Amino acid sequence: MSRDDEGAPGPNRSEPQESGESQDPSLVHRIRRLVTTQPYGVLATHGGGQAYGSLVAFAFTEDLREAFFATPVATRKYQLLSQNDRIALVVDNRPEHADRMMDVEAITVTGRAREVPHGPDRVRGADRLVARHPQLRSFVAAESCALFRIEVVRFLHVTRFQEVRQWLPGDS
Amino acid sequence: MAAGGQLIVPLGEAGDAPEDLVGGKARGLGRLLAAGYQVPGGFCIATGAYERFIREAGLGDAIQLELGRKSFTEMRWEEIWDAALRIRLAFLRSPIPPELADPIRQAHAHLPSGPVAVRSSAPGEDGIRGTFAGLHESVTDVRDGRSLLNAVRVVWASLWSDAALLYRRELGLDVDRSRMAVIVQEFVEKPVSGVAFGRDPRSPEEDRQILEAVPGLCEDMVSGAVDPDRWTLERSSGKVLHWRPGQRGQGDPEPLLVPEDVASLHETVLSVETLLGYPPDIEWTGRGAELTLLQARPVTSPAKRDDERRWYLSLRPGSGRLSDLAERVAYELIPALEAEGKGFAADELRAMDDPELAEAILVRHEAHDRWKRIYREEFIPFAHGVRRFGQYYNDAVRPTDPYEFVRLLENQPMFASLRNDALAHLAEHVRREPSLAGWLERPEVVEGITRRDSWKMVAAELPGIPGGEAFRHAFEEFLDEHMNLTYQDEPLDDRPDLILNIVRQLATDGGEGLPPTRGGYAEGSGDDVQSREERFLTAVGPERREEALEVLQIGRLSWRLRDDDNILMGRLRNQLQHAVALAAQRLEGAGRLPSGGRVKSSAAETLAEALRNPDGGPVRLEEPGKMAVSGGSRGSAEMSEHREDPGITPRQLVGQPAARGLVTGKVRVIRSTEDFQAFRKDEILVCDAIQPTMTHLVPLASAIVERRGGMLIHGAIIARELGVPCVNGLPNVTDLLQDGELVTVDGHLGVVTVGPPEFDLERKGER
Repeated sequence: MSRDDEGAPGPNRSEPQESGESQDPSLVHRIRRLVTTQPYGVLATHGGGQAYGSLVAFAFTEDLREAFFATPVATRKYQLLSQNDRIALVVDNRPEHADRMMDVEAITVTGRAREVPHGPDRVRGADRLVARHPQLRSFVAAESCALFRIEVVRFLHVTRFQEVRQWLPGDS
Repeated sequence: MAAGGQLIVPLGEAGDAPEDLVGGKARGLGRLLAAGYQVPGGFCIATGAYERFIREAGLGDAIQLELGRKSFTEMRWEEIWDAALRIRLAFLRSPIPPELADPIRQAHAHLPSGPVAVRSSAPGEDGIRGTFAGLHESVTDVRDGRSLLNAVRVVWASLWSDAALLYRRELGLDVDRSRMAVIVQEFVEKPVSGVAFGRDPRSPEEDRQILEAVPGLCEDMVSGAVDPDRWTLERSSGKVLHWRPGQRGQGDPEPLLVPEDVASLHETVLSVETLLGYPPDIEWTGRGAELTLLQARPVTSPAKRDDERRWYLSLRPGSGRLSDLAERVAYELIPALEAEGKGFAADELRAMDDPELAEAILVRHEAHDRWKRIYREEFIPFAHGVRRFGQYYNDAVRPTDPYEFVRLLENQPMFASLRNDALAHLAEHVRREPSLAGWLERPEVVEGITRRDSWKMVAAELPGIPGGEAFRHAFEEFLDEHMNLTYQDEPLDDRPDLILNIVRQLATDGGEGLPPTRGGYAEGSGDDVQSREERFLTAVGPERREEALEVLQIGRLSWRLRDDDNILMGRLRNQLQHAVALAAQRLEGAGRLPSGGRVKSSAAETLAEALRNPDGGPVRLEEPGKMAVSGGSRGSAEMSEHREDPGITPRQLVGQPAARGLVTGKVRVIRSTEDFQAFRKDEILVCDAIQPTMTHLVPLASAIVERRGGMLIHGAIIARELGVPCVNGLPNVTDLLQDGELVTVDGHLGVVTVGPPEFDLERKGER
């Protein structure tokens, strides 16, 4: 006999399944949903042995391999990024689930953030960022504002408080 | 009229109160009281009190944490039970704030002195669309204020009982919205009690009423402890169509109710139906002028028979049934199962001619089927003895650790621990004799031994080696005594190579040997079993000491036997498999069966038939020689995604912390006996479920990771006994993890972290 029935039946023996229970959407779908519904994330930078965090408005490309944000050149984060382009960006949906911790989702994006020099690339990137955040049009256009492109290396997705999966957009 | 913020509603006023506030049951009782029926007096603790308690104790977060751990569809019944146990303990450990406790005490003080009953009354619970009787808890015979507050917490917590969680969809259970009112009533105990159905729940369209009666308390009938007398009446006329005496072991049965009682109940049911507007399901006690109604709710049809959840709920036998089961399982069934297995093992199958072998197969096959049935009907329900003790212990002691009760059950002589001790002795043999260790490493031993016959040939050299003869003897005894089990239709006593692999590794591990067979779950406290037991009995109190001792005793028996019964079942199956394998061998020799591959024991009858008909020609098996590899994977959305997209990998998996400890090591996924062979000391054993037939691997493992979840399942028990960290209840884990992968198993938090925290990808192209 199957040893699976020790104590009580296992799922091999038709566990109660409810057809109505929503299926978990795919990981990529979840990541896409998060970065399209959440406008802001915390950008982590570091320099001189010191970690630093800043809230930024971002916009991702459709394939989720790149994201854009803007910062004035006089900022601490600009300084740090000029020294070291390795960053992390944390995006989460806390405001939607303030009292339901298990429903909170977060991603940590790792990669490199490089300033986009003036030219057609910058125009395209700035258009993308402004399309997502129309209120930032003049901010992004300002001469003292730098546009950065994040080249995404990986997404670490956290849900149910501790469940973590990794997605490498470059591998798919 | 009760107002929204009111915490206490007198039962006499509950009939007019909104259901949101007092629940359906209190409302029904209130209406009966107001209409002049005899109903025990009392009061209702309104839903607002539950809400305040939950809010102030922060219990909403605790419930969410329990229920959000993983997708509910992935949760096994045992995991649901575990979640309910932890929620109940969290409720019991949270104090009721004075602004709630004081009014409850005051209302209690206004009742006539004497014991009270505390019952659930959840809004929606008794709604006309569905009654799920027995999902929530009732506490009877509550005698003082302190017990009353405990009972109220138990009833509140039962909003999240295992049964309620199973039916959460029908109940619309939701942390933010679900609430529970509580009824506190005088506890009425009359010589006869029962239920009465306004219509036959099994066929409500027919002109029938059903009455049931038991001596004593109604609870005894509802819990199934006492079989009731049953009357079937014609609904329209009250005429008795049929009477069936309850099976209560008495001599010549006399009906518990006289015709006047039956007639008065019939009338009462009809008048209650007119009052409430639906055919009621009434609980009553006392007869004639003493007839008292305990509750009235709509009759509902019994759940569909194919609803597996009903079976899960039947796995919680009441105390009377558990005592009977304990007696029968321990003193009749287990000895009989052991004797039958031994009897089969003594048969000389090879000496039998074909018809004799056919007969032997059929006898074994029948025995195996019979024991499978007994296993399902009696062994599995008896396993509830452990769970019942756990809840009983937690209710009394209210420990910080919900599984502290396990310490009172552990360290009993189980087959699995005897086997591990024997394995340790074999390793010790080898460790003492370097020449024996050398022999074990020789190529003809490592490569040449596969089955029992090749072992016999190679082991013929052993008498010439110091300690060799003693080792040979002990090893063969080990195979016969401890490995007479079958894993995936393969008799393990015919795989000496698997055990040699383990002995070799245990013997060369630098002398530290096996971990001691000792509870790994118990943390810190050096108190012995005796003082723990005393602490438990003190918490229960002198009045219930006898009851507590019985619950503990049954818990211990249940703990020990739930492992032993598996091993004994394995032995029986092993004997069937040996006979089937021999039959297949003979039929192959006769050219009637294609050779190669293992034949499943499910082919027993076909093979026996073939042996009986020597001229029967080729034998056709449904799946000749094909062995299903168990993996337990069920391809969830995440899993299929994982396979499709190589870019997605798990980084941290969350399960149950089944045995404490923190270990990093390499994964070895066990899917077949070949993986047994490949297993190396200190690897992390990853499998669908640790089965009693593979526990011999556990001493080699540095940690265990299982798909199957539960704090009290076999793997968790063995892991704790051996002090090996264990995380279980991880969906699809045998597919998500791969051999050789580095993982960290955190048995404290129930988390498995995959891979080191590296940034190699981010650094690519640098330096």
